[in-house]
Amino acid sequence: MEYILTVMVLIGINVILATSFNLILGYGGLMSVAHPIFYAIGAYCSGLMAIHLQIPVPLSILIGAAIAMLLSFGVSLPSLRVSGDYLVIASIGFQLGILHVINNLEFTGAAGGLTNIPVLNEGPSRSLVFVLLIAVVAACAVMLVGWIVEGDYGRAITAMRNDEEAFSALGRNAMNIKIVLFAIGSGMAGLAGALYAHYFAYVTPEQFGIFTSAALLTMVVVGGAATTWGPLVGAVLLTTLPQAITFLGLPVSIMAPLQGVIYTTLVISFLFARPQGLTGGTRGGGGLEAWSASAAFRARRKAE
Amino acid sequence: MSAIVRVEDLHKSFGGIVVADDVNLSFEAGEIVGLIGPNGAGKTSLFNLISGVIPPDAGSIFVESHRVDQLPMHHRARIGLARTWQNTRMFHSMSVIDNLLIATRRYPGESLARILFRRRSVDAFRQEATEKAMVLLERVGLADKMHEMAIELSYGQQKRIGLARALMSDAACLLLDEPMAGVEGQAYETIIRVIREEAQAGRAVCVVEHNISFIRDISDRTVFMFNGCVLASGSVDELTRDSQLTDLYFGGEHPQ
Repeated sequence: MEYILTVMVLIGINVILATSFNLILGYGGLMSVAHPIFYAIGAYCSGLMAIHLQIPVPLSILIGAAIAMLLSFGVSLPSLRVSGDYLVIASIGFQLGILHVINNLEFTGAAGGLTNIPVLNEGPSRSLVFVLLIAVVAACAVMLVGWIVEGDYGRAITAMRNDEEAFSALGRNAMNIKIVLFAIGSGMAGLAGALYAHYFAYVTPEQFGIFTSAALLTMVVVGGAATTWGPLVGAVLLTTLPQAITFLGLPVSIMAPLQGVIYTTLVISFLFARPQGLTGGTRGGGGLEAWSASAAFRARRKAE
Repeated sequence: MSAIVRVEDLHKSFGGIVVADDVNLSFEAGEIVGLIGPNGAGKTSLFNLISGVIPPDAGSIFVESHRVDQLPMHHRARIGLARTWQNTRMFHSMSVIDNLLIATRRYPGESLARILFRRRSVDAFRQEATEKAMVLLERVGLADKMHEMAIELSYGQQKRIGLARALMSDAACLLLDEPMAGVEGQAYETIIRVIREEAQAGRAVCVVEHNISFIRDISDRTVFMFNGCVLASGSVDELTRDSQLTDLYFGGEHPQ
């Protein structure tokens, strides 16, 4: 029972992460892969504050999320100058740089990780209460993103993603939108991180590396980029699938690389066979199609 | 007449290729200027320099009384520039009406805070923008396409949507990049009429076009560009009488 609840907590955390990543990558078309670093910032900041400053846990969680939001400028400011492939590289640099710092600082626990983080709630039904809490937070995350991308603001986001130059030439400020998307998305990731830290009481730097970026990317792509429910579907699927594999009883030497293989295979096959993801429609209604180079190419070819 | 846009000693080169060589130009209120020249003469580059897609190496650009050459694109647009693009550049996952709504001066979705706290003004802005978009779609003859995806229309129809989109912001200056490419029949008359009406309303209009008879029909003044230089200015007939210019246009040598 405890195991199932723990998996459900992980699902909730991943729903928040994938949904917020989708806001930046799917809707915004901003090719940053540094999302896990904000997850890390939320986890570490909140954990450290609760340990060293004895700040009440709920408050430290909120402060951790706020710091992640603030540090999103580390990626949003480069994104004003560079886009596409260059932003991928700039964001990897940012992610690995901060990870390197965490890995080498004494007070963050270095490579061994940060231990003895105070937990948010205790008691016999601790996990059940936490699952309910995370379900509420995840639902709020999905609704928040849904609200941001609908209506007038969502139309502006779509137009910016479709063609930033044409968008700017119409007097719209793309800079503002990028900063807002990164701030909100990263703040949500920070919140997920802080919740994680105060449930499991332990975090290590290796949880927030490129592998996590790949996992989140897979969730968004498989579920359907730039759709409301896609990241949720992707997060549920790709959190339970690796857990299911563990029941196969394979040796660890096969199991560990197998997860990586599954993620990459899924991303590649979806990119080829179903770029709109599981939940995406066929026309204009989001999906990776919405920002892929091939869609822009097809659009141009049709125009000529 | 007063100059809406004034370009002074504008210079831009990419490596060895000079796309603007000390260009001096002005577009007056109510005037339609035709910009002609062979491919690679720097016509579209001039539009890109004025609208802010590329930064100039030297020189200055004024829109009304504002110096704009160091400002970001969206800032220039708000001061009074609107442009269309050679390859239409529709927002491809959006409907025709949404393409137009984006361009309105008081965009209802400019900030999340506004949407959250000033619901009523946002609704009023949207209402105003939608009515305006409907009128413009009517004027370019595509009112029946408002809910279709912009990218699913023909090239010529997209050109007309692009024109309507540029008119949404009431900019003082319109830069139209090949508005006639792919446009045929009745749509041709429609576009001429719309451009004339906009000039009569006091806007400065500059049109890049390869269709010389269209330029002759519509422009008050024609400017001939070659290798980034403004070589001559006058009526189309004056320019076409100059055998040196026609040689250049149809693939002659560089003038010495």
